[in-house]
Amino acid sequence: MNRKRKSGMERKMERQYFLIVLPGFVIFTIGLIIPTILAFRYSLTSWDGLSAEKPFVGFQNYVNLLHDSNFLQAWGFTILFTIGNTVIQNVCALLFAVALDSGIRLQKVYRTIFFIPCLISSVIVGFIWLKMYSNVLPEFNEIFGTNINFLLFGSSSTVLPGLLIANNWQWIGYWMLIYLAGLQSIPAELYEAAKVDGAGAFSRFKNITLPMLAPSITICVVGITTGSLKVYDLLVSSTGGGPGRASTSVILHTYNTAISGRQYGYGSAMSVSLVIVLLLVALIQVKSLRSREVQQ
Amino acid sequence: MKKKLLSLMLGTTMAASLLAGCGGTAAAPAAGNAAAETSAAEAEAPAAEEPVAEATAAAPDEAVTLTVLAGQSTTDAGIEDMIDAALAEKYPNITLEWECVGWDGEFHPKMQQYLQTGVPDIIIGKGQDVATYSSLGILNEIDSTYTDRVLDAANENVTFDGKIYGLVYNALYQGVYYNREMFKENGWDIPKTQEDLQAIIDDCNAKGITPFASHMVDTWSIGNVTMQFMMNDVFNKNPKWGDDFRAGKVSFSEDADAQTCYQYNKLIYDNTFPETFSLEQTDCDAKMVLGEAAMKVSGSWSIQNFLDIDENFDFGIFPFPNQTGDSKLIFEPNIAIMTSSSTEHQDAINCVLDVLTSDQDLAVEIYDYTKTAPMLKGVTPTYPNPSQQDIDKYAADGMVVDVNLGNNQLVWGGFQDENAADIAAWLQGDETFEDCLAASDARVDASSSSTN
Repeated sequence: MNRKRKSGMERKMERQYFLIVLPGFVIFTIGLIIPTILAFRYSLTSWDGLSAEKPFVGFQNYVNLLHDSNFLQAWGFTILFTIGNTVIQNVCALLFAVALDSGIRLQKVYRTIFFIPCLISSVIVGFIWLKMYSNVLPEFNEIFGTNINFLLFGSSSTVLPGLLIANNWQWIGYWMLIYLAGLQSIPAELYEAAKVDGAGAFSRFKNITLPMLAPSITICVVGITTGSLKVYDLLVSSTGGGPGRASTSVILHTYNTAISGRQYGYGSAMSVSLVIVLLLVALIQVKSLRSREVQQ
Repeated sequence: MKKKLLSLMLGTTMAASLLAGCGGTAAAPAAGNAAAETSAAEAEAPAAEEPVAEATAAAPDEAVTLTVLAGQSTTDAGIEDMIDAALAEKYPNITLEWECVGWDGEFHPKMQQYLQTGVPDIIIGKGQDVATYSSLGILNEIDSTYTDRVLDAANENVTFDGKIYGLVYNALYQGVYYNREMFKENGWDIPKTQEDLQAIIDDCNAKGITPFASHMVDTWSIGNVTMQFMMNDVFNKNPKWGDDFRAGKVSFSEDADAQTCYQYNKLIYDNTFPETFSLEQTDCDAKMVLGEAAMKVSGSWSIQNFLDIDENFDFGIFPFPNQTGDSKLIFEPNIAIMTSSSTEHQDAINCVLDVLTSDQDLAVEIYDYTKTAPMLKGVTPTYPNPSQQDIDKYAADGMVVDVNLGNNQLVWGGFQDENAADIAAWLQGDETFEDCLAASDARVDASSSSTN
């Protein structure tokens, strides 16, 4: 009797979940899934995006991608940018959150200051840091008589660190808030019990804080990874993908190829390959999320 | 099972939302000066000036709204209000529904979109766009009533199969802007050969003056100057070089003249600000005005900055010297008005063309505002341009060449701009010169402006 009632409740809950997801899924299907299918269709052509003819070329565009050094270079930059962001933002955001959660004075003021940059459009952030590196920071050399190279966007060897600084400056405060919320939801009794048992600060952080923050970590890792893989607007307003091609991301390269370069078919192949990678990343992340839920 | 389905839906939704980000070029502004630029165009088109004609189009009886897609340079933004006001006065039944976008980054994507859904009644782009879109059969021939009001030189490179598909409204000049006072103080003459130029560069370096102002952070500026070089070292010898390139007769890897043009970028890079890859155009122009550099390879779009920073800045212009010492000043048709072949309001469109080509007050207002050279016969802007005397001289000597000769053969989007990125990578040491040339050769299929 109980099993039957529970099963009915489950079915009801699942129906509710399904209904909640359904509107979004329909919208995304019409707006994104169908275009993705069309993109795959175009990727099998050499269409220029303008003319009526869409000559079928089979999988030639995909074969060409494997030999396209510019595309591979764009992937290289995107992966490094993503790894850099994921590591730096998570570590810094967590450390800042722990610091703010420790009961320091002016906590709300610091929290606001850290959060403000993420309210600014990435396009504006790009402009800000372009000016910072080329105009504002070099003034310090003049004032203090130093010779520090602040022109990080001006060289292919320093453009990645320069962009990481700009991107992390913008987003660390946002992820810090998520960690802070996670920290504040951890019961104080756990820490008190650990203290009674003689656990030190590091031990408490490792054995209580980190495990209890697992859902927050998952959210932050997923958000930072996907945000970094999508980077476009920051680049457009700061480096334009340069110097040369040193900061060209996959999406920027795809846009330049398909739209500006009038190689819509080839650009579509780039998009499809990107979607495949993103799907893999998304599936892994969803799986990771579920496994964490099981652990808790 | 349902949880799996939900997970799959969520995962797919997430991936699809990421795809949204992957959907999805140089600010080419302008300026030039009135009288001299007109005479420059006249030098190529002895057709000469004639009084602007009176209205010739029949006003519609009923209210008509025309859609307009305007791909604008930074200096063009705002002229739509001037056109609206003039149109309302003469043809109050006609309303223009403007969609103004940046020419460099948004115009062509918009056109791609409209090619699927129907193009606007009026399309405003650059002279070089006429070749691309006329080849698609989406443009109407412009009535000779209106093209006759434009300088003949402006009509040449928007004419295909004997039909004029674009109404060129204004033009830019490109070359080497120089600090006239600095040249006078140091006794430098206008260089005609590479040796002359090198002597000035050497003297600059000896005196601690930066020879060239440049802002290579804007990759488009590299592409722009490279085409300037190509015009005087490649297309002057072989006006069909682009066609020969596609036919496999010439290539960047084998053509010494084309390679020289790429090498000129190195000459500038070696003799410019060390922060050129971090320097924006406005800051670069400011340094030029403040006397930190002697020359700048650029176009009329710098004039606005020069005069905004110092209205008394005295500058001139000369063509970048080529190998043979016979360089010409570059002339670029800028605003080009095209009309849709599928429009249902051709009469109303003609009314708009009538206003644009017959209203002298409107024309002067637009030229003064954009600081560009007029392409309408008999119209003289009133804004000051210190480089005008140089332009007049080159025009009088017939030493002016239309850059659309090159731009129509080697298209900007997907070819020139991509080559510029490779040149930048080469200058940065990330590519070899040979790789840079080979990359240009490899994108030969993307070099044509024609889509057929």
